[in-house]
Amino acid sequence: MTEKTNPKPEETKIGVYVCYCGGNISDVVDVEKVAEKMREHPNVTIARTDMSMCSDAGQSIVENDIKELGLTRVVIGACAPSLHEHTFRGTVARGGLNPYYFHHVGLREQDSWVHSNNPGGATEKAVRLMYAGIAKANLLKPLDMIKLKAERHALVIGGGVAGLRAAYDIAGRGINVTLIEKTPFLGGRMAQLETVFPTGNNAREDLHSLINEVRTHPLITIHTLSELVNIRGYIGNYDVQIRSQSRGVSGDNAEAALAACTQEVPDDFNYGLTKRKVVYRAYEGCFPSTPAVDWEHYDGKPIEIDGQKVIFENKKKTFDLRIGAIVIATGFQPYEPPRGDYGYDELPEVVTLPQFIRYMGLRDGNVGELTWKGHPVRDIAAIHCVGSRHLAGVHEPQPDGILNNYCSRVCCTATLHQVNELLDEYPNINVYDFYEDIRTYGLEHESYYTEASKNMVRFLRFHGDQRPEVAAAPEGDTHPVLVKGKDYLTNGLEIEVPVDLVILAVGMVPRPVDDLVDMMKIPKGDDRFLLEVHPKLRPVETPVPGIVLAGTAQSPMNIQESCNAASAAAAKVSVLLASGQVELDPFVAKVDLDKCTGTGDCIEVCEYEDAIVLETMTVEGNEVQRAVVTPANCSGCGNCVSACPHHAIDVQGWEVAHYEAMVDAITMEVEL
Amino acid sequence: MNETTTTKEPKILILATLSGGYAGADYVGQQHLNYTTNTSILPVRCPSMFSTEFYIQAFEKGIDGIIVMYSGTDSPFKGGPERTAVMVDQTYKKMGELGINIKRLKLAAICTVCKKPFLKQVNEMNKTLNEIGFVQDELADQGKDK
Repeated sequence: MTEKTNPKPEETKIGVYVCYCGGNISDVVDVEKVAEKMREHPNVTIARTDMSMCSDAGQSIVENDIKELGLTRVVIGACAPSLHEHTFRGTVARGGLNPYYFHHVGLREQDSWVHSNNPGGATEKAVRLMYAGIAKANLLKPLDMIKLKAERHALVIGGGVAGLRAAYDIAGRGINVTLIEKTPFLGGRMAQLETVFPTGNNAREDLHSLINEVRTHPLITIHTLSELVNIRGYIGNYDVQIRSQSRGVSGDNAEAALAACTQEVPDDFNYGLTKRKVVYRAYEGCFPSTPAVDWEHYDGKPIEIDGQKVIFENKKKTFDLRIGAIVIATGFQPYEPPRGDYGYDELPEVVTLPQFIRYMGLRDGNVGELTWKGHPVRDIAAIHCVGSRHLAGVHEPQPDGILNNYCSRVCCTATLHQVNELLDEYPNINVYDFYEDIRTYGLEHESYYTEASKNMVRFLRFHGDQRPEVAAAPEGDTHPVLVKGKDYLTNGLEIEVPVDLVILAVGMVPRPVDDLVDMMKIPKGDDRFLLEVHPKLRPVETPVPGIVLAGTAQSPMNIQESCNAASAAAAKVSVLLASGQVELDPFVAKVDLDKCTGTGDCIEVCEYEDAIVLETMTVEGNEVQRAVVTPANCSGCGNCVSACPHHAIDVQGWEVAHYEAMVDAITMEVEL
Repeated sequence: MNETTTTKEPKILILATLSGGYAGADYVGQQHLNYTTNTSILPVRCPSMFSTEFYIQAFEKGIDGIIVMYSGTDSPFKGGPERTAVMVDQTYKKMGELGINIKRLKLAAICTVCKKPFLKQVNEMNKTLNEIGFVQDELADQGKDK
């Protein structure tokens, strides 16, 4: 929709809009005063305020003004451009203007929210920034989006429930999917559960149903023991390199190798409660069913199979793919308390909730009496918020110096769900539930708390800075462990509970994915989970176009929420790739052939292959060399701009002249 | 709107990359952390586009301090950070020639969640400018010397 003419600055008719943002801006910035000042600008045709510019009503005002007042530029001061710049470009386009005749000024994150202590200064700053916006808007040129072919192929990283759900949903829309999983088997953490809330369904039955759909889908290719090792390119056209390890055993010798292997290591599937061989299946019924060699622990010694000594070889291979979009579903790992914290790793009667779930799953049916390490279990303490909601000055930071100050959300319901199942089976066991707050926040999750109360679970409430202490009971005591603390349901009464077993409701921490973070340039939050662009408005997108998040790589989530996020990620990918082309902002270098003399300085500093080349052309009858940009290969970095001695090259939409004009505006004295 | 070059407090221009400093500034806002209002943050794709001429002109127009908040090694642009560093280095030399205190220009790698480094840079630039004064006074002094 490029317009043929570009109005000169003195001819521009600018509409300026200052958003209250429902008070987020106007509580600090005098929005009406800002609009009043804008009206003094000679190029401003109209300046308005609105409670919410991004609302349908707010956008309609802009559309109508463009049509009725013949506006040629629009400047909106509102929240961060990362949230609504795209929205307002659409608004401007619907009004009939080129969408790049719009400039967005961030007045919330970079003004009202950081200057709440100085409303006058914030108002003055808003005026200054809006004037700068007008200065830039005056010089804007109409641009067209760059349309590029997009590979209708998505990469899903992670074969847990979120990755599986995302892969299946994307493939369901006719888009090829490659799913890579770092470990030898699909299923992730969900495979380690027995039943799931709120349905009470068998976790692995639900999981296997999804795995079967994924593995039989004609558009999905699965690579286990595989990881991303390199990525280049951009949305629609990422060139990725995948490295795969071999399983070490194949159909011919797999079962024999499994039977013959004698080297054992702690079984991570059971959180170290049992041992397994280094040639192993994660569990019976896992997918793929072919065993795999645990390369991390295999000692390299030969194993005798059918009379032959065999040494397993890890034949790694790499392969390349062209990918349109990427879903990161790398999941979480349970928090592991440091040795001695609540007696963990020192007292054999202290386990984490995931370990306890595995322990219950490993039993061979109801054996009549629950035992732990050969002793009957009569009294159990469950302690919440282990590894979550840490307080500065009270808790030791993690090895990376970060406090786990977030709530892991899932643990309260998971604990009560497990306790209720336990009491259904063993109604004579006494459970003491030490909690800081009970956060059974999901639909129907409160019923787990209600049921636990009916099951006579004793709830004891502690304060975050006075967490319970776990210690070995004196020799000869009736129970092996004592849990001591203050119960604030009884006005801080000192209590001491003798128990046979302590279950630590540990929180979630993200899997370490620094390699992916570095490769993809995606941000992490303060909590180390991967960070979305905006928790409400763009909840699964990363700032890197075409890379989206699914599941607990982003934050603690239960299975329902993980699947919701995965489906949202899949929908986002599907929209991006459905048409087979992506539209990119036209912010690439452009040469002014009237100024270019063909020095080639721009090419020397350009790091992108074939982004700029010198071409021979005829000017006034002479054959000359001139720089020519290939937009699809240009990143729009601007290296070339500062290199050109004749100012003959610039980045469209981000021209040096724009900045010069903005600096002019910023250096003007503002009088309110 | 009165066009004038007199200033009541030093003016700080922050050129912040969309993939680093600008997102970092948004993050500071999301955390509701306060800093001074004499700051004007302009989003840039990569500051490698700015030549020495641009920086010098900005000082001459009355910008007292410039913080280039680039993305450092996290930049999505190949060669962008290196080129930025080269241009800033060249600018330092030119500032020296013109008698502009080189402390007025700072290159800092700021990531999308670098709230503390962001605030540190702003606070340090304010401290520096309070010590060395307004750029136009400095330029006027240079004029007298000539």
